[in-house]
Amino acid sequence: MIEGPVSTILFAGALGFVTISIVLLGRILVGPTMQDRVIALNVVGSNVVVVIALLAAAMELPAFLDVALVYALLNFLMSIAISKFTVEQGGVL
Amino acid sequence: MITLLEAGLLVFIVLSALMTAILRDVLAAIIVFGAYSLGMAVLWIVLRAPDVGLTEAAVGAGIMTVLLLVSIARTTRLTGIELRPVEINWGVAALCGLFVLAILATVPALPDMGQTVGNPVFGEIYNHYVTMAYEQTHVENVVTAILVAYRGFDTLGEATVVFTAGVAVLTVLRREVDA
Repeated sequence: MIEGPVSTILFAGALGFVTISIVLLGRILVGPTMQDRVIALNVVGSNVVVVIALLAAAMELPAFLDVALVYALLNFLMSIAISKFTVEQGGVL
Repeated sequence: MITLLEAGLLVFIVLSALMTAILRDVLAAIIVFGAYSLGMAVLWIVLRAPDVGLTEAAVGAGIMTVLLLVSIARTTRLTGIELRPVEINWGVAALCGLFVLAILATVPALPDMGQTVGNPVFGEIYNHYVTMAYEQTHVENVVTAILVAYRGFDTLGEATVVFTAGVAVLTVLRREVDA
C-alpha cells in the first residue's frame, strides 16, 4: 500500500463515491417508478466499479482491476434483465 | 481513511439489507438486493479477498437477480400495495436484535487480521496442508487439494445436496409449465 497524500486522496475519493451510493439508496426506496430504481441501481453499480478502481490504485494491487471489469459486465447484465422484465412482463433474458 | 471507507460501506450494506426486508414491491426488493450484493462485494475487495468478491458479484448480483426475476415472472407479482407501509413485528425484530448482539459479543475473541502468532488457523494443520498437500495428493493448488482430496466426502455431500435441490426445482417448474 502506498502511503502519503496520494493514497489518502484516492481513499477519500472512494469514500465520496460510497456516500453517493448511500444517497442513491434513498432514490431506490422512494422510486416512484421502477425506471428510477433501475437507473439508481445502475449508478450504484458504476460507482462500485469506480471505487474498486480507486482502491486498486490506492492499495497498489492491479489485480483488483480485473474484478472491476467483471463488475462492469455484471452491472450491464443486471440492468438489462430488470429493464426487460419491466417492459415485457414474463421475459427476462 | 480506510476505516472511514469501511464504515461507509457498512452503512450502505445495512441500509440496503433493511430496505430489502421493508419494501413491499418484490421487484423493488430485488433491485435493492442487487445493490446490497454490490456493496458486499466491495467490502470483500477492501478486506483483500478479491476472489470472494468476484463470487459474491457473480452469484449475488448476477445469478440471484436473474433467478428471482424468473421466479416472479413464472408466478405473480402483486402491484398497487407499494404505498402501504410494511407492518413490522416488533417482538421478532427485538429477538433478531438480541441475536445480532450475541454474535457481536464474540467478535473481540477473534484473532486480528493478519495475526499469525496465537491464531488457530496458522497452527499445525496449516503447516501440514502447505508442506504435504502436493506430496499426498499431487494437486498443485492447495485449496483444491483440501476441497477435493482431504475433504472429498464433504464435497461429495455438498454436490449431492445441490444436485437434489436442482432436480427438485426443475421438477416443480416443469409441473408449473404443464399445468
